[in-house]
Amino acid sequence: MIDGTTDRLNKAAVFICHCSGNISEHVDIDAVKKTLKAEGISVFDYEYLCSSQGQSLIKNKIMEGNLDRVVIGSCTPSKHGTLFKKCIQETGLNRAGLEIANLREQCAWVHPERTGATEKALSLLRAKLKRLENIEPLDEIKVDIAQQALVIGGGIAGITTALNLADNGISTFLVEKDSSIGGQMAKIGKIFSPDKLAEECAMCSLSPLMNEVAAHPKITLLTWTEVESLSGSAGNFTIRLKKKPRYVKDSCTACGRCSRVCPTLVEDEFNCGYMDKKAISLRFSQSVPKIYCIDPDYCLQLNGEACGKCADACKTGAIDFSQKEEIVELNVGAVVVATGFEEYDASQKPQYGYGIFENVLTQMELARVLGINGPTKGELLRISDFSKASAVPTPAACTSGRESSSAPSSDSSSDSSSDSSSDPSSALSPGAETPKRIVMIQCVGSRDEKEGGNRYCSRYCCMAALKHASLVKKKYPEMEITICYIDIRAFGFYENYYRAVQETGVNFVRGRPAEVVEKPDKSLVVRVEDTLSQKMRELPADLVVLSAAMTPSPGTRKIASVLNLSQDESGFIKERHSKLKPVDSSLDGIFVCGTAQSPKDVTDTIAQAGLAAIRARAFITDSPKMLDNEIAVINQVLCTRCGECLKCPFEALSLNESGRVVLDPLICTGCGYCTELCKDGAIQIAGFTKPQLKAEIEGVLEEGDVLGFVNSGISSLTCDNIGNSVLTYPSNVKLIKVPTCLVVDRDLVLHAFKHGASSVLFVEDPPDSPRAEIIYPLTTRHVEKLKEELGDSGNRIYFKKTYVPNTKGLAGTFIRLAREGEVIR
Amino acid sequence: MKAIESIPDSKLLLFKSCMVGQEYPGIETATSYVFDRLGVDYCVNDEQSCCTGIGHYTDVFEGLTTAAIAARNFAVAKKCGYPNITCLCSTCYAVNKDACELLNNNTEVREKVNSIFREKGLDDLVYEKGDMNPRTNIYHAVEVLLSKVSRIPDEKKFDFSGVKTASHHACHYYKVKYLDVVGNPENPQLIDTVAEACGASPVRWYEDRSLTCGMGFSQIHLNKNTSLQVTKAKLDSLQREGVELMLHMCPNCQIQYDRYQPVIEKEFGVEYDMVHMNIAQFVALSMGADPYKVCGFQTHSVPLEGFLEKMGII
Ligand SMILES: Cc1cc2nc3c(=O)[nH]c(=O)nc-3n(C[C@H](O)[C@H](O)[C@H](O)COP(=O)(O)OP(=O)(O)OC[C@H]3O[C@@H](n4cnc5c(N)ncnc54)[C@H](O)[C@@H]3O)c2cc1C
Ligand code: SF4
Ligand code: SF4
Repeated sequence: MIDGTTDRLNKAAVFICHCSGNISEHVDIDAVKKTLKAEGISVFDYEYLCSSQGQSLIKNKIMEGNLDRVVIGSCTPSKHGTLFKKCIQETGLNRAGLEIANLREQCAWVHPERTGATEKALSLLRAKLKRLENIEPLDEIKVDIAQQALVIGGGIAGITTALNLADNGISTFLVEKDSSIGGQMAKIGKIFSPDKLAEECAMCSLSPLMNEVAAHPKITLLTWTEVESLSGSAGNFTIRLKKKPRYVKDSCTACGRCSRVCPTLVEDEFNCGYMDKKAISLRFSQSVPKIYCIDPDYCLQLNGEACGKCADACKTGAIDFSQKEEIVELNVGAVVVATGFEEYDASQKPQYGYGIFENVLTQMELARVLGINGPTKGELLRISDFSKASAVPTPAACTSGRESSSAPSSDSSSDSSSDSSSDPSSALSPGAETPKRIVMIQCVGSRDEKEGGNRYCSRYCCMAALKHASLVKKKYPEMEITICYIDIRAFGFYENYYRAVQETGVNFVRGRPAEVVEKPDKSLVVRVEDTLSQKMRELPADLVVLSAAMTPSPGTRKIASVLNLSQDESGFIKERHSKLKPVDSSLDGIFVCGTAQSPKDVTDTIAQAGLAAIRARAFITDSPKMLDNEIAVINQVLCTRCGECLKCPFEALSLNESGRVVLDPLICTGCGYCTELCKDGAIQIAGFTKPQLKAEIEGVLEEGDVLGFVNSGISSLTCDNIGNSVLTYPSNVKLIKVPTCLVVDRDLVLHAFKHGASSVLFVEDPPDSPRAEIIYPLTTRHVEKLKEELGDSGNRIYFKKTYVPNTKGLAGTFIRLAREGEVIR
Repeated sequence: MKAIESIPDSKLLLFKSCMVGQEYPGIETATSYVFDRLGVDYCVNDEQSCCTGIGHYTDVFEGLTTAAIAARNFAVAKKCGYPNITCLCSTCYAVNKDACELLNNNTEVREKVNSIFREKGLDDLVYEKGDMNPRTNIYHAVEVLLSKVSRIPDEKKFDFSGVKTASHHACHYYKVKYLDVVGNPENPQLIDTVAEACGASPVRWYEDRSLTCGMGFSQIHLNKNTSLQVTKAKLDSLQREGVELMLHMCPNCQIQYDRYQPVIEKEFGVEYDMVHMNIAQFVALSMGADPYKVCGFQTHSVPLEGFLEKMGII
């Protein structure tokens, strides 16, 4: 395709767009045409090249003239680059044969003076023509994406994501570290919702979804399983999972006989430790999968004592003490992290007495106490009045009438299943009284700048407090409830709920309590300044409920380090852009949703999980993926295998078995760092090779010009924005787009000075994205080094970091440098 | 938060405190005794003067004088090569920190102070911005004890196991500069951790733990009844907890509890079982220091003899 030898440009043509006056009013297109034609180059112009007529013109001329290179002079390539690329590709040309000169944003719009603009237009077109003398066709890089997804974490976020993926035809693995999916939502009992003033049953919404997960042909559920490691790259991840032994086979019918005979009591995490369960148990009655699980830390048999009572009791022979840990390896195209939150450890605020006074509890603990499947069967009691050992759970039922659980085995067993001891007689200690006064303290560990607190608002807790106040009031209308708050954040439609709760007679005190004091009878006093009346108050209470902050779960912290994801300062997994990419993690192909990403309620969690599923699906179905080919290319003939380039900051380069340096095209960002490391020129960025850049420098420069090398990301956008903002700068400022300034080595800078540059400016993107955070420091170091190495000329090298809104500042820099150049001249 | 690893153990100027010197000189001798045994490099410099603290808080000295005196003391510390000011008193600690910030950040004050120095031919006292860093040049002696806590058991001669202690962390340590405290300023544990190393059993939380001692500088004189009621509230709470020994880190708090406990008992008709000492006195005692020659318990108002006898020390 490349004739290469003589008459290099006779198969090239230039197309100039008038852009309906936008270009033609400032650039004398006829003069440009005349000059170029005199040099033997075919030139065409048209009112709108981007119109279908314009495109037809280009295509026809390519066919007629058998052209193999095309320069288009038009608006910025970021506007219609893709369109023109498609246009020339339709004629069978390789896209390396197309160059676009930005005659609008970086010429006509910024240089009001016609002669200057026309001259600059000519030099921009010449530079592109020169560049094309050295074209090398760009290969399309295609990568096959593994057609399955992995969701980590089986709370409402993970469940929603998995179901959405599977319903969209993607085979999905759902990994949950616990013995059942359901997450925290399974524990909270009732839920507030934006549109209703009544509280709904959480399990009634959750349980059908959990069963759907278990039954879905496209979902493989792996509970009691954790992620060990992740390797490979976006689109082709290899995940190693550790599946812990349950010691119970799938033939378990969940009849519960084993649990009844098991002699060993274990603290029940699901009920916040308020009651015990057996060493063999279900996490909760509606667990999915509905298979018992033995706690290996407490089981007598597994700890060397002869017991095996459960095995004797089991009619299906499901108990299997010989089960071993399994390692499972999966190949997936995309990963969604949904590993959730935990409640803030309120004992870090000892002034509230959590962990010191029995009757101080958190909202989650209150949710368990209010739960009909909780330690008191839903009866509200002081914690000091019910003793743990005697508390016995009943099987969870649903008060709102809907059938929640579908597994028939438990319903048919003689004394409906329960995973705790079956002696229902000794419920509560005698004399237990219903508390009369409850004080809730908001923002415990949230909105707190002190050591150990979190600065953010946890978003759920005002509503959870209102919900619990409302539930208690409905059941015990005489209860005196006071909520101590800083602000009540009942955002959006929740305001209606807030108002309804106010009307039930709940008291609100604006103030952050100082201290909770316990009296000898174990009742409490909350000391608080009511900041509205500016009075100190002492609020007596039988129960104090702390609305503890939402913090990242230990599993979220762990998975962030296993997968190497960016986290925010509190440990939540950081999204790439809070508005534009709210579920993309810092790594391609890995997405995040729910409370693993930030504090939120169920409504927001589900909305975000849906988006995460869509993003993951889009990533997977875009297969084979066509990659941007402006990435590193290794010339194996020149490569000496010295290994210098393996210092790639993104670890895109590695040695294969035969000792060759190979590139992972999915990881390479095309930053160009390696091109400087390779002393043999064996590694280049496609489209930005040293010969191409040299040619462009030669073509564009006139004596005394300022030459700017502009990062093709945000920096380029900012340069274009100078034009959009009707700002101007002198026409002897010439800009060359580069992937990052790392591709511009000493040779190129010297070349620029040789060809007349008065100064060289590097315009770089700020370290605002995970990628730029890595690149930016490299670029500053690179430019420092260039300055040092080039001695006196080094003083003519400048560096500028640019933000999109900073058009004025950047234009100012251009003007200043152009003026300095004049002085030198 | 201040990292415990960042607390220096050398070039410490053990900053003498007026209240320690005149009320409980045993605190200073006990601190020296303990520092010597823990391998801390410190010096006591007689050229150093009062920080003005009590005077400042009772409106006798205004801010400029306090800043000038602080600048002078900083010059003393730097000149003798012991620039890490280590206070025995929480008021010295907070006053020095505040003055240092003022001298660094307020050009007007700094220049005024310096012009006075120059006028009087005291050019060697002139303070340049940044001469001292409020965060890394000014410490409290308890922080130093805490940073050496792992070495206390090696030097221990007496074990105080079973002694129920309670800590009173001074407001001017953990409330004035609350972002610059070792640990959580809402739950300081400095004294408790050091006491535990001596074998004691500290009460972790008690009602009104974060309450002030009640002195309020001038308040004990102007509003004596309110002041004593505040002190009483905490003493009552500790009595309920069965505390035997209350540990302090500030001579002013110690005065309020030790000197005024008998007064409160008399005026309010109550009785308390607890005795008082500074945490350095307690550590010194556990290292075998003489209760009178080193710890200076003869200057205390609540007699310690009963406690010392019970422990078998006398
Ligand atoms: C007391 C209380 C009351 C609430 N009330 C309401 C309400 O009424 N209405 C409402 O909308 N919201 C409410 N919320 C908020 C609601 O609970 C959360 O928004 C929701 O549960 C978040 O779901 P999730 O899936 O993000 O996280 P989680 O429920 O925490 O689920 C995460 C799951 O991931 C698993 N996991 C964690 N780490 C790993 C790992 N490394 N590998 C594998 N699996 C892992 C966990 O075991 C868990 O199953 C309440 C919260 C609290 C604390
Ligand atoms: S073998 Fe383990 S799980 Fe089974 S009954 Fe005994 S202790 Fe319980
Ligand atoms: S939701 Fe309410 S209680 Fe929770 S942190 Fe925000 S303001 Fe505080």
